[in-house]
Amino acid sequence: MVDEPSGRNLDGDAPVAEDVVETEEATITDGAELERTIGLSGGLAIGIGTMIGAGIFVFPGLAGGEIGAAAAASFAVGGVIAILVALPTSELATAMPRSGGGYYFISRGLGTLAGTVIGLSLWLGLVFATAFYLVGLGFYALDALAQVGITVGAEPGAIVSAIAVAAGVAFTVLNVTGTENAAKLQNGIVALLLSMLVAFLGFGLLEAFGFIAVDTPPGEAVDVWEAVPILSVAALVFTSYLGFAQVATVAGEMKNPGRNLPLAMVGSVVIVTVLYVLTIVVATSVFTRDALLAAGETAMVEVGRALLGPAGALVIIAGGLLATMSSANASILSTSRAIYGVSKDALLPQRASRINLRYGTPHVALGMAGGPVIVLAATRQVQLLAEVASFLHLIMYGLMCVALVAIRRDRPEWYDPEFVVPGGPVVPVLGALASFGLIAFMNRLSIAVGVAVIAVTAGWYFYYARDVELKGAL
Amino acid sequence: MTRVLVPVAVLEGESVSPGLISLLGTVDVTVLGYHVLPEQTPPDQARLQFEERATSALEDISQEFRAAGGATDHRLVFTRDREQTMQRVADEVAANAFAVSGTTGDVDRILVTLSGEVDVDRILSFVEELVGNRAIGVTLFLAAGETSLAGPGDDATTDADDADDAGAADPGDAGAARLAAAADRLRAAGIDADERLATAGSPFDALIDAVPGHDAVVMGERARSFRSFVFGDESDRVAAASVGPVLVVRARGDDADAASVADE
Repeated sequence: MVDEPSGRNLDGDAPVAEDVVETEEATITDGAELERTIGLSGGLAIGIGTMIGAGIFVFPGLAGGEIGAAAAASFAVGGVIAILVALPTSELATAMPRSGGGYYFISRGLGTLAGTVIGLSLWLGLVFATAFYLVGLGFYALDALAQVGITVGAEPGAIVSAIAVAAGVAFTVLNVTGTENAAKLQNGIVALLLSMLVAFLGFGLLEAFGFIAVDTPPGEAVDVWEAVPILSVAALVFTSYLGFAQVATVAGEMKNPGRNLPLAMVGSVVIVTVLYVLTIVVATSVFTRDALLAAGETAMVEVGRALLGPAGALVIIAGGLLATMSSANASILSTSRAIYGVSKDALLPQRASRINLRYGTPHVALGMAGGPVIVLAATRQVQLLAEVASFLHLIMYGLMCVALVAIRRDRPEWYDPEFVVPGGPVVPVLGALASFGLIAFMNRLSIAVGVAVIAVTAGWYFYYARDVELKGAL
Repeated sequence: MTRVLVPVAVLEGESVSPGLISLLGTVDVTVLGYHVLPEQTPPDQARLQFEERATSALEDISQEFRAAGGATDHRLVFTRDREQTMQRVADEVAANAFAVSGTTGDVDRILVTLSGEVDVDRILSFVEELVGNRAIGVTLFLAAGETSLAGPGDDATTDADDADDAGAADPGDAGAARLAAAADRLRAAGIDADERLATAGSPFDALIDAVPGHDAVVMGERARSFRSFVFGDESDRVAAASVGPVLVVRARGDDADAASVADE
């Protein structure tokens, strides 16, 4: 074990390392202090705002169409896996409350190769996820247009692509030039979304349990309560849970991280799991499988319409637009953190994390996030984008669990987490098995694309950063 | 020793006016260099890139303060929340006041407002310390429309409190008595003190009307209110309207703690 990162990359740069003191209110380095400004509600808003996005508004149609009411079980499986990963992540994050999140833990716990692969695939995974959110945004915008009476011509698909690309460009530009802090706005959007969902679900549940009766369209298809289809749908919808680990990427900016990090991560997973499962229960009680399948990406709008009339449809459309926007924006933000973490450790050229003094924003990193997002969003491949994003994240989640076991075994001197996962190695081992196991249920093509991305990132390590040593270095 | 926190947006090229530097020559100073970051930017990343530039600017400013007389140190903070950073650092260095910088030349006369729920005793002690034995005149200002509720431990203004009780029906008289008591205290310390009482109109406008002829304003820190939420902090508004620097005397330590806990 070494105490300091060492070695040099192809450009001759070494990882940046220095002694810092972490207090509950600030990170204190030799010559400067970094204020911790994100509280518990801010942390929850990051977690929930990233997760409640395209997933819950796009998947009920696809998942319910696949297996009917059993999709609720798929979402529950996803939630359990997310909790199994969120607990070990919390322990790591309280021991290393630094920006960079999963990348940081894995590079310190498992070494530079795993670190490079995860750091770069976290960036690319977020790119795939953002593209998926933007395509979801496109579908909802198309529905919103239809709702106000604007019908598009023969090519609705092209319109979805165009909207997704335009939104991608807009978010990138806004993030480079926007100096207003959008964090407060994000909190407001999340609060609004949550109250809309709770009101909608409250009404929907009254209907589902027969207290109120609305006309539901007839259908014959039965639900599929079988393990394999449930798990393969779980693999598809797991994208809805990408986001809790993003809380760890701002660990360095959280007040009182020992308390707030675990609460924000675990709390946001629990809240969204409950909402997702209830949403599926409501959606599948209103519509049967074939009706959901026919409605496709925006099936939730039809569910809203069936429950509450045009007003219900409007609420869902507004919610879908807000949610996909907040997810896309939060993911672009996390991407620039991910790129920064990697380039600070000399695994990417350092100019990747340059900041311009004019706007004070990392324009290169934001461009590296926005550029590929725009290209991918144009493809409109909802399922492929979602699964590749999940694949890349699941690899990271699994390795974070492995990293926890490894770090606990090595017990470096600095390892002193404020939050410890109870039950010894049980939770991280289950978390790793579940994360890797879920990948097996994905679509072949998604797995192939994911493996290709991993191979390219590993190739980058051998080309660029083979001599950099990060394992065990705080 | 009295200590004043001087926040400077150091990477935005903000500087401290020579008048403020010489005014603070009698007290210790902590120069707080800060840089407010947009949320897209990891603070650590900004630090790596800008620390050197910021530190050299801060050292220059500290040098000027030292040349003016007081012991001076500096801190550099990257933050998203200027207010939070100011409060934290002010608590840590036990600052008695902080400065909102503005432009001024040599300071001949300062305006000290005692309006509102402020700790008059602390403000007057601070002013005594600040002026020292220099030939800087003080105008005490009070907007009497707004009756002051003297804080606990406000021993020095007992006379004024008595007057308050006696003349509760006429806030103008009570205000005049309070002002007179405060002015007597400053005169006893050898300071040239005037009184100025505003009896009508909004206290804020009256204060701004009183600014001409003064080079700096001293005021007390007030609890955050709905007004400050909507219009911004009173000290910032005074600084903006009066152009010159504003010194805000902080509320008692334990009060400040209670306030920050309530904020959470």
